[in-house]
Amino acid sequence: MTFLDPILDLFRGKAVTIPPMDGALKPNTALDEAEVVVAALAPDNIVRRGDDLLYSSGPEIRHIAPKTVVASYGADITALAVSDDGKLAVALDDGTVTVDGREIDGFTCPTALAIHGGALFVCNGSDQVKPSAWASDLMHRNRSGSVWRVDLASGQRTKLAGGLGFANGLAIDEANSRIVVSESWRHRLVAIPMAGGRAVDVLPRLPAYPSRITPAEDGYLLCLFAPLNRLVEFVLQEDAYRLDMMREMDSQYWIAPSLSPASSFLEPLQNGGVVSMGVFKPWSPSRSYGLVARLDRSFQPIASYHSRANGRFHGMTSAIAHEGAIIATSKGGNHIIRIAAAEGTS
Amino acid sequence: MQPVIEMKNVTKSYRGVPAVKNVDFTLRKGEIHALLGENGAGKSTLTKIMAGVVEATSGEMLHNGKTVSFESPFEALQNGIAMVFQETSLVPSLTVAQNIYLGEEKFLNRLRGIYIAAQQFLQSLNFTVDPTATVATLGAAKRQMVEIARAVHHKADVIIFDEPTATLTPEEKRHFFALMRRLQKSGVSIVFISHALEEALNHADRITILRDGELVESGPAAEFDRDAVVRAMVGRTLSGEIYNRRRTASDLRKRGKQILSVRDVSMGSMVRNNSFSIFEGQITGIFGLVGSGRTETFKIISGIYKRDFLRGGEVVFEGKPVRYVVPVHAVRDGIIYVTEDRKLEGFFETMSIAENFYSGALAAGLTTSKVVSYAEMHEIAAGWSKRLDVKAINDNARVVELSGGNQQKVVIGKGLAQRPRLVIFDEPTRGVDVGAIAEIHRFINQLADDGLAVVVISSYLPEVMNLSDRILVCRQGRVVEEISPVEATEEMIMFAAVH
Repeated sequence: MTFLDPILDLFRGKAVTIPPMDGALKPNTALDEAEVVVAALAPDNIVRRGDDLLYSSGPEIRHIAPKTVVASYGADITALAVSDDGKLAVALDDGTVTVDGREIDGFTCPTALAIHGGALFVCNGSDQVKPSAWASDLMHRNRSGSVWRVDLASGQRTKLAGGLGFANGLAIDEANSRIVVSESWRHRLVAIPMAGGRAVDVLPRLPAYPSRITPAEDGYLLCLFAPLNRLVEFVLQEDAYRLDMMREMDSQYWIAPSLSPASSFLEPLQNGGVVSMGVFKPWSPSRSYGLVARLDRSFQPIASYHSRANGRFHGMTSAIAHEGAIIATSKGGNHIIRIAAAEGTS
Repeated sequence: MQPVIEMKNVTKSYRGVPAVKNVDFTLRKGEIHALLGENGAGKSTLTKIMAGVVEATSGEMLHNGKTVSFESPFEALQNGIAMVFQETSLVPSLTVAQNIYLGEEKFLNRLRGIYIAAQQFLQSLNFTVDPTATVATLGAAKRQMVEIARAVHHKADVIIFDEPTATLTPEEKRHFFALMRRLQKSGVSIVFISHALEEALNHADRITILRDGELVESGPAAEFDRDAVVRAMVGRTLSGEIYNRRRTASDLRKRGKQILSVRDVSMGSMVRNNSFSIFEGQITGIFGLVGSGRTETFKIISGIYKRDFLRGGEVVFEGKPVRYVVPVHAVRDGIIYVTEDRKLEGFFETMSIAENFYSGALAAGLTTSKVVSYAEMHEIAAGWSKRLDVKAINDNARVVELSGGNQQKVVIGKGLAQRPRLVIFDEPTRGVDVGAIAEIHRFINQLADDGLAVVVISSYLPEVMNLSDRILVCRQGRVVEEISPVEATEEMIMFAAVH
């Protein structure tokens, strides 16, 4: 029957299924119990330069401590990267990518950067939209994401992979000569050969949309910025409804994933719920969630840190290992937090 | 006070092998008497002699002071002794009411009158069973209720219950024991066999323990505790070994690779959007009350039931979506389901132990020859009999002749002969004596240690808590909680299962 299912699905409709959050991804409240490092407006990408931790917030790059502005740009910053020799790469919402002030053009939606071996690696989330319009890219069901390698000496650009459903994070796996990329709209991590080629699954069927991947001592840290939601998945299948919704409604009211928990009375389902076993459970799957996962060297989850439906720290977009703990940005929760490594589910 | 039933020096032999040896047993008026012992200890045989199902080979039985020897259960019933059997003796094609009033039919019967009377009678017993339902449509627990109702209806002064609570939910058990107390107050004497020792300790007035067909101890329940009962039953203290282990995080096995992912699986109103994962090298305990959809979910996974055709969800086994049409496809992929109803679904009872083991290998296509090879059959059987320590004369013994514990071992061996990667045990120790429980638990642990993914579905909380590396709790057709055995308490699990 399995081989007939794709054909039968044309007539009966494909089942909307959400992978369960269990095992290493078993929910907990570790993010909400984490120590607050600093309150910041939509902190996005956090990187280490020397002994400093820098993060992007709107159009500015800031120090965590002291809370000073390092640099300011003409558009919101969408990605940061620092090379071993201290070069700073910055991507902006208008598509601009610069490395130490030198502009590299040709990108529409730079979402993640990495500098490795004299080259800049860029995740271009989509050919159609700006990074800030990510929800629109999802609801249009675009699959135009790509990964690029830019030689910093010659400026030569090489497309390593295309046709991705919003490439939104990358890590260089030098031991296996591959780049592992977060493909948000397909809810998976894929590996691409260093020289370019076909993407193969590394961690498929995630229960949330993955974003940035950061190397850590014993593996990697993966941020997942919003949960898979049965209602959103259903709307994605219902083309007529989806197109009407996008045409007639303001994007903030779309049935789409969100970075922050809504406090509007227009969304009573996310705010209402019951407490079972001491845990708040919403009446419906929430549109936002906080989730950071620790991965082993083969990119399999070994522990996770959550902020559940009633939590504060949703929309986790970036995390970094620092002094035996994890420093993570909650873009939806407007805070940077410090998670003790012993917390969470393992 | 004169005993209602007094058995003196009773022996019953089958083909010269004694099942009960020189047992003295007394049942006083209005007492609740628990009969305990391992499987094969002779409890069922002793009660069957009382109820006229079998005749004693030697010895004497007195009923209200008169020597009796019943030739049939009907004769015993006429004398006021009723027995509720472990395997229900209801007529599946008749309704609940018709079964209760079976044998009392008049020349002309008004069905509506029977239904009304049965409804009132069942309500008085606090049993929520529809009297107009056909027995074939009822689950095991409801059938048991009808069986009990029928015995009570016959106004017997002695009622014998053979494992009455094995299929009941905790709520139903409470009703059952309240009913036993009510019967006791009205002067009925009750004998009940149970493997749940707490039931005997909490509800019986006196306890009699048999071992290997002989009476070991008999006395007031207040003089026993759990360990004393177990020591008397098996000659050693197993209780602590099985159920009183203190678990710490380091005792739990680490999760291996995800082998099964169940996503939003639905089947009618029994299984509703059920999602969870199973991992290799771990025992996943599944707890839920009757009707929580736990058995149905795993029967879907193993191809016995079909999930909904429209939007029935997804089962992903080893990264591959699967929808099994028949169980053999699941078996060939490495999924085996060890049934909770071993007598009906677990083995071929008139076939030998060897043939049963071999049938497992045949189903999985693991036999080396294309025709049935007796040499291979006995080789497979010898291996599994030894590994599982099946106690039988030899591999040619028919499974029906084995004790419950050994039958269960055959069912397990038959499944494991299929070289599975995911083993699903549904109530692996139901109706199994304490000694065999320990052996089965050791074996289940061994499977997980060997790296297999193991699922244990159980209604017995101590079993779930002591065996599992993670506990999933089902309610209303889906997994609602995942609890670590380190933090789990019985109250916590029960709360999740009910609320």
